[in-house]
Amino acid sequence: MTIIDDLRALETEALAAVEAASTSEALEATRVGYLGKKGSLTAILRGLGALSHEERPEVGRVSNEVRTAVESALEAKKAALDGAAREGRIAAEAVDVTLPGRRWPVGRQHVLHEIVDEIVEIFAGLGYQIAEGPEIELDYYNFTALNHPPDHPARALQDTFYVRDLSGDRAVVEGESDVLLRTHTSPVQVHVMEAQKPPIYVLAPGKVYRRDVADPSHLPQFTQIEGLVVDEGITFGDLKGTLEHFVHQMFGPERRVRLRPHFFPFTEPSAEVDVSCAICGGEGCRSCGGEGWLEILGCGMVDPNVFGHVGIDPERYTGFAFGMGAERIAGLKYGVPDLRLFVEGDTRFMHQF
Amino acid sequence: MRVSLKWLKDLVDVTMPVEDLCDRLDMTGTKVEAVHALGAMLEGVVIGRVLTKEQHPDADKLSYCSVDIGAAEPLKIVCGATNFEAGDRVPVACVGATLPGGLTIKRARLRGLESQGMMCSPTELGVGGDASGLLILPSTAPVGASYAEYAGLADTVLELEVTPNRPDCLSMLGVAREVAAVIGADFETPSGSPSESGEPASGAVRVVIADADLCSRYTARVIRGVKIGPSPDWLVERISAAGTRPVNNVVDVTNYVMYELGQPLHAFDLGKLATADGAATITVRPAAPGETIRTLDGQDRGLAGDTLLICDGSGPVALAGVMGGESTEVSDDTADILLESACFDPRSISRTSRRLGLISESSLRFERGVDPDLAARASDRAAALIAEVAGGVVAPGIVDAYPGEKPLPELTLRVDRVNTILGTALASADVVALLEPLGLGVVAADGALRVTVPSFRPDLEREIDLVEEVARLHGLENITSTRPGGRERIGGRTPSQRTRARIAATLRAAGLDEHIGYSFGDPADLARLSWDLASDETLVELINPMSEEQAVMRWTLVPSLLRAVSYNQRRGVPDVHLYEMGTAFLTAQGRKQPKERLMLAGALTGSWSRPGWNSPGGILDFFDGKGVLETVMEALHADRWQVRESVRGWLQPGRSADVIVAGDVVGWLGEAAPDVLDAFQVTGPVVLFEISVAALLKAAARASILYRDVPRFPAVTLDIALVVDEAVTAERVTSALRSAGGNLLESVRLFDVYRDAPGAPGDARRLPVGKKSLAFSLVYRAPDRTLADEDVRPAYDKLVRKVCGAVNGEVRS
Repeated sequence: MTIIDDLRALETEALAAVEAASTSEALEATRVGYLGKKGSLTAILRGLGALSHEERPEVGRVSNEVRTAVESALEAKKAALDGAAREGRIAAEAVDVTLPGRRWPVGRQHVLHEIVDEIVEIFAGLGYQIAEGPEIELDYYNFTALNHPPDHPARALQDTFYVRDLSGDRAVVEGESDVLLRTHTSPVQVHVMEAQKPPIYVLAPGKVYRRDVADPSHLPQFTQIEGLVVDEGITFGDLKGTLEHFVHQMFGPERRVRLRPHFFPFTEPSAEVDVSCAICGGEGCRSCGGEGWLEILGCGMVDPNVFGHVGIDPERYTGFAFGMGAERIAGLKYGVPDLRLFVEGDTRFMHQF
Repeated sequence: MRVSLKWLKDLVDVTMPVEDLCDRLDMTGTKVEAVHALGAMLEGVVIGRVLTKEQHPDADKLSYCSVDIGAAEPLKIVCGATNFEAGDRVPVACVGATLPGGLTIKRARLRGLESQGMMCSPTELGVGGDASGLLILPSTAPVGASYAEYAGLADTVLELEVTPNRPDCLSMLGVAREVAAVIGADFETPSGSPSESGEPASGAVRVVIADADLCSRYTARVIRGVKIGPSPDWLVERISAAGTRPVNNVVDVTNYVMYELGQPLHAFDLGKLATADGAATITVRPAAPGETIRTLDGQDRGLAGDTLLICDGSGPVALAGVMGGESTEVSDDTADILLESACFDPRSISRTSRRLGLISESSLRFERGVDPDLAARASDRAAALIAEVAGGVVAPGIVDAYPGEKPLPELTLRVDRVNTILGTALASADVVALLEPLGLGVVAADGALRVTVPSFRPDLEREIDLVEEVARLHGLENITSTRPGGRERIGGRTPSQRTRARIAATLRAAGLDEHIGYSFGDPADLARLSWDLASDETLVELINPMSEEQAVMRWTLVPSLLRAVSYNQRRGVPDVHLYEMGTAFLTAQGRKQPKERLMLAGALTGSWSRPGWNSPGGILDFFDGKGVLETVMEALHADRWQVRESVRGWLQPGRSADVIVAGDVVGWLGEAAPDVLDAFQVTGPVVLFEISVAALLKAAARASILYRDVPRFPAVTLDIALVVDEAVTAERVTSALRSAGGNLLESVRLFDVYRDAPGAPGDARRLPVGKKSLAFSLVYRAPDRTLADEDVRPAYDKLVRKVCGAVNGEVRS
């Protein structure tokens, strides 16, 4: 037996051992057994130094071949074993993907504020600022400056909430107090016009209060969105075009808009605005009470008397104002049958929107 | 305003279909709120002629008839009535007709014979009280015609919404004028002059008006020798269609003329008025203190000082414009009438009507304003009608006190102003053509129009009022839609509004739903919450609340949230996470308008979610609430805030903290106290918080953010566990660590709190009694190099020494 024969025999043996190894551990043991510090192939390789000059090149070549062959066999086998192990692990980790995920509860915005935000976005896009005002107002801002005559029925105790006035003043207009819960967001118009010179483009959302018993179609507290524009050259056509744009954004471009002349103390000419019924498209059906139209807001050109209260020259400036109820719009948009749902805080209701 | 279409057609030439008329009225500002078809119930009831009448073979009390209704075949009808003969004409309800009582006629077999309809009694048709037999019609009644049409029952009533600026439309005359203008037709003014004879009225009546501001005109007519009785059918029909029940012929005429012309009238029994020298003196004056009157409805009414009265020589006989007095009421034996037709001050009538809770057709019209020019014409018309329907003789002359007579107002209307406001391009002639049909006198002068306003349009006082008339008659649908130019405008939300939106979005991302509660508050909640107001705080009290539970404005959002929690829990929803951003109201002695503070409040109860197959669903407690606040603060980049243990009546002691920003208490959080849970019928634990939004906005530091280098070199992390007294707070240890850390210490994070189980036996105890262990992770980092443990060690050793001294603790080994 030559040393070369020994090497070849060892190669055969090692390759068989590598092939036979069925686990990473067994493969590692095989590697150490042949190529470790005390391995059998290592021992032969270490003995090469003792060979003669003649033998050395040939034996060296063969021993390298053998080592390379064993090493690559080891490597290939390791890759095979690792792959198998990974596949096994992957198989073991498979899940039922239809099981529910781990989730965090999603908080919902109140549907009324969602409506308000939607409207704010539309008008902010038209260059309106968002204005706010106090919920407890003086008669002057809620009524007088908005051109309500002193005996206007809206001032009556059965319609408007009054707040005890602790200043010792006597009410100028009616009853024992001229401090009240605002009945509309229109007083914000007056505050804005007092504070700011035209051009004025504002939208004022907020809570308002009227003395109604809570029932499916009334609440003593509801949400209004007021718009006011004062600038040079503002026309009724501008009002109409603005509201048409709003309706198309809010309800869809296929909806039609009609303005019906109406009366409000603080605008003239005034109009009520109807949008064509989504169900029948204006033909008249049960959901619109056969009318084909649903009333959504009131509007008009700012009355010169209102300008008079805030010192804006009605010959130079004209303007328009409009107001709508978020509850009404939410009711139309989503078909909510009972307004009380909006204030009860039932989370099952809130999560529908 | 109920408008009978038949009546309207007497006054104005309406040929278009009702739907078109309604649309036209809608689009010109008189909304048609409803359309009622009178007589519609009698659809399918026709006039029939009885051809044959035979005895029913199997029923003694029934007859078997053949009835011609103008159809090819006569109907076979089984009938139980006996008051008719072959040849009579009777109303026949055909199969399918529904009668006013709700009975729908069907084909039926009666004792073996088929009946194909029903012959009707007046009761069955709802036209009279006689149920004893069939309604026998005159032999001229056209066979086959609709009974309702034949009997004049078919009418259409339009219910109009009349806006407060249009008192003229509270009459048929006004509506007819309006309709004529909007459809371009002609209309007729109803009028009538009585033939007069006998002693002149001026000899029997004198009129004194004490205050011309309260009564601008008072007219009186005298009609002698009337016979009180029921009104003729046409009169009953008209006032019934308008919505008033018939009383007697004189009262019915006054109501008729009120509906027709818009002038409320009152008829006094002249014989019951006090007279002197054969004449009654009518005085119109405000009530004197302590005066009373018994009104028509039998009520004794005390009168306030500004109540306007009609008085005779003995005292009050009517509440002017509101209701007559009982003592001078027209009754069956009344012979002589004093007919009042007057004009009273709207405000005075409105105050009286509201104060006494008496709202009548008369007061409604006076409140809106009655045309003073109408008084005499209405009086003439009514007097002529009374003479017609109640007999009697109209005394010559009308006693007319008219201190408030004014010339008709003239307005200037600039056509270019019309176009400037409306965005139209109307010519002067267009405007004239629109205004004249309304009864306005229009003359072109100096590039503008001079407009004379008739007395029936008191709403037209200014140029803008005329612009409105032009707009609505031109048609809003004919105005071209445009949008404002506005070159200087700037839009968008304010920084505060944007930050509030960010806060709300963060809360929703954290799993909280938004609630909007009532702004009203229950003063009893002060006790339920053991809430003490500060000495300078007073609840905002409503003078006219809807209920005791809503008697004040809320000073905190907590009850609103607790009630919503309770509402959900009672409906089987255990996991409730709510926030509300809303106004809290407080006032103080001497304040006029209360203080309004925007608050953010939250309530958490149950779990974040129901326990799942892979999530435990733990019960929410104090730290979930605090976590929500921390999340909000982090979203706002607010790092200068802290909480401090506090005592609040509505929170459970030991689980209650104040929220402090820049040294100020700006809110609180904690778990609701057991008493509060009971009082609000809530199952705990419920975590609550409330914080001033203004303080949050102040704490938000977004505006001052400056870039800092993102760490480029790795950090060294060392853990330390410190054993300290139970009373030493985590906050104290953390700040001691921070201040002792040196400049390499980047962050301090508490990751464990260890306590021995209570009552654990000595050998199981790992800490001395009354101690706890707090474990922190300390991260050291240098901005310019990689740190080794040795670099950090000196700083760490110094930190241990300092912190142990500061919090009286020791390192747990």
